[in-house]
Amino acid sequence: MVHNSKISDFISTDNIIVGMNAVSREDAIKQLSNILQKNGVVNDAVAFNQDVLAREKQSTTGIGNNIAIPHGKSASVTIPSFIFAKNNSLLEWDSLDGSQVDIIFLMAIQEKDERNEHLEMLANISSRLMDDQFVENIKKENDPQRLLKIFTKN
Amino acid sequence: MTKIVGVTACIAGIAHTYMAKANLEKFARKEGIKIHVESQGSMGIENKLSQEEIDEADLVIFAVDTSVTDRDRFSKKEVLEVGTNQVIKDGKKVINDASEMIEDIKNN
Repeated sequence: MVHNSKISDFISTDNIIVGMNAVSREDAIKQLSNILQKNGVVNDAVAFNQDVLAREKQSTTGIGNNIAIPHGKSASVTIPSFIFAKNNSLLEWDSLDGSQVDIIFLMAIQEKDERNEHLEMLANISSRLMDDQFVENIKKENDPQRLLKIFTKN
Repeated sequence: MTKIVGVTACIAGIAHTYMAKANLEKFARKEGIKIHVESQGSMGIENKLSQEEIDEADLVIFAVDTSVTDRDRFSKKEVLEVGTNQVIKDGKKVINDASEMIEDIKNN
């Protein structure tokens, strides 16, 4: 593993939402943007929400396997981070494999690129989404504490 | 042993760059192909390819949604260029396509 910053230093169960009740992709992104503001990751949820939707318009972030990774590179981001959510129902997301989505990683990235451990964490999680075992583990698990353990295990 | 070098890059430089890198490595490994992938993301160039590795490679794969930094390094090479989403959607197919291209190059 190339990126091995300690993810446990940056995330807590505040970054994990299980049992979200979003009714659409737009609703999910809006709800999660608000949580990111509450968590102090973004200082303007509305602006962040718009930047994420603009990215969605470029090409889908539904990477298949019921997973989507919407992300916003936005001036409203104060610290690079993410929010992980499991939705109670499947949502339409124009996914690469046509699957609907109930697992959402919303990533918040600053406009100015600066190499740091938070970006390494996001890159690390992104690579692990290609690992079948990792995906199976996060699909099976619904306890935020145990999900946190899965994310922080390197 | 077949050798491939790759470059991955996406617009935001955070998610797709690294997913595409992971999938190229995963499916190349399954086919017994030696691969080295350079990522050009928001953290800059990582796992930078040496000119020697590039020169020795049977094929170059660009999995990019944006331009490749220092593309000159690859000017003498055959390149398979795809978008990051193609690799994320079906990494097996991209590696299979690469293998076919390598066969064609060898037979010509």
